[in-house]
Amino acid sequence: MTDKNATPKSAGVWTMIFTDVHFWVPTIVLLAGLVVLHWIR
Amino acid sequence: MESSAAKMILPSIESARLRKLQLVGIVCGFGAGAWLGAAEAPTKLVKLGVSPLVVSLLMVVGVFLARWSLPALIRGTGQVRADIRQAPHLIVWGILAGCLWAVANTLTIFAIRDIGLSIAFPLWNINSLLGIFWGYLLFNELRDAGKIRWLTVLGGALLMFAGATLLAVASSAQSPAEHPLRGIFAALGAGVLWGTMYVPYRKAYLTGMNPLSFIAFFTIGELGTMLTLAVAYGGGPDALFHQLELAKPVLFWLMLGGFVWVIGDLFQQYAAKYIGISRGIPLSNTNQLWGLLWGILVFGELRGLSTSLYAQVIGGSLLMAAGAGAIALSSVTGKEHARWKQAADREGQRYKVDAGYVEAGLSGNDSTNPGSQVSIQSARTWLDWLLVIAATTIFISLAVLARAPNMALNWPALAALAAAMLIFLFACGIALWKTTRFN
Repeated sequence: MTDKNATPKSAGVWTMIFTDVHFWVPTIVLLAGLVVLHWIR
Repeated sequence: MESSAAKMILPSIESARLRKLQLVGIVCGFGAGAWLGAAEAPTKLVKLGVSPLVVSLLMVVGVFLARWSLPALIRGTGQVRADIRQAPHLIVWGILAGCLWAVANTLTIFAIRDIGLSIAFPLWNINSLLGIFWGYLLFNELRDAGKIRWLTVLGGALLMFAGATLLAVASSAQSPAEHPLRGIFAALGAGVLWGTMYVPYRKAYLTGMNPLSFIAFFTIGELGTMLTLAVAYGGGPDALFHQLELAKPVLFWLMLGGFVWVIGDLFQQYAAKYIGISRGIPLSNTNQLWGLLWGILVFGELRGLSTSLYAQVIGGSLLMAAGAGAIALSSVTGKEHARWKQAADREGQRYKVDAGYVEAGLSGNDSTNPGSQVSIQSARTWLDWLLVIAATTIFISLAVLARAPNMALNWPALAALAAAMLIFLFACGIALWKTTRFN
């Protein structure tokens, strides 16, 4: 059965995302990619 | 209040079911290669002086249309809403993956401009090696897999890389590099971005999200980023509008490329879900072989080369095929799958996702009815049909406006490759339907 109480609130979701190390891996790579793009264009 | 997610321990998936899911993942990986490789074909018909950024933007518009209409047609948008309720954080991950894709795709345009497709393509295909690294480091892939499986996956990926390099050397005979350093940075950058893009993919699928829902959010990040880049680097909104006017006769071909790409990407997503990113990405990277087949057979590229260069092309292709074969044969063992489940446990606990939902997603069952391997009837609403009708109408209108390409094409070869794609489409579609009902 689906537990509706398990669904976190919006502010909590952002906290969970920002404290997740995994989130920063693609975010940093994305920023680095934008820098490279700006340089080579 | 403590949720069921807080202390979940996911039950094991029975081994027969696991084998079936892996087979589906492998078929989808090869299907992804065929469709992703063909996605470049319509763009080859575009010979106007349209900016590469606008070409990319228009492909993404095609992608956007396909990504909202196909899920609506297959499952209905109600299923997407059900997925959001269970795992709202994945909206952010989906958008982030879309942003990564858009920047990577733009980098490939500059890479092709500076060093040519044939060199750039294998460079950005390092994404599969990076995918293996992220899969191992972040999601327990290949842990407890044993030496033989490590050898086949890593060896297969390296074989594919070597094959891709041979193909690049062979076909670069026709495209001398203009700005080698910039081009190499762009191609490598694209590879790193695409390799890292699979982190959000895996994150989503370990948490049980359906690929059809994930791509809906992915495309928002993709279109938003592409539009921003096109305006920022294309000289502002007026210049962009002028370019779009110029591109009117070729809009259909570009958006068709985007549509074909979406189908390939959808299969890639299912491959990432059922065999992980360490195996799924290399298999979908067989797209280079398909791209080469389209180039040589349909568009007459590489004509008049020396025998040694043809030998390189054949050798490179065989290496890639051997590498893909090795990876396809490297099945996930029960021990390794147990490590995947640990990663899924961790994700579920961190984001407080319902254990039944996560388990249903991992085993390819209906997450809204976790105990069942058969989906509840996906009810489509008027909104779903509206999305499908709107996308179809736009494509038909653009097809009417489109100008027929003034190029010599090998039509029998085109028909044969299109038939091969359809075979993959049916094979993947039937495998997914029979095993998971697209769950």
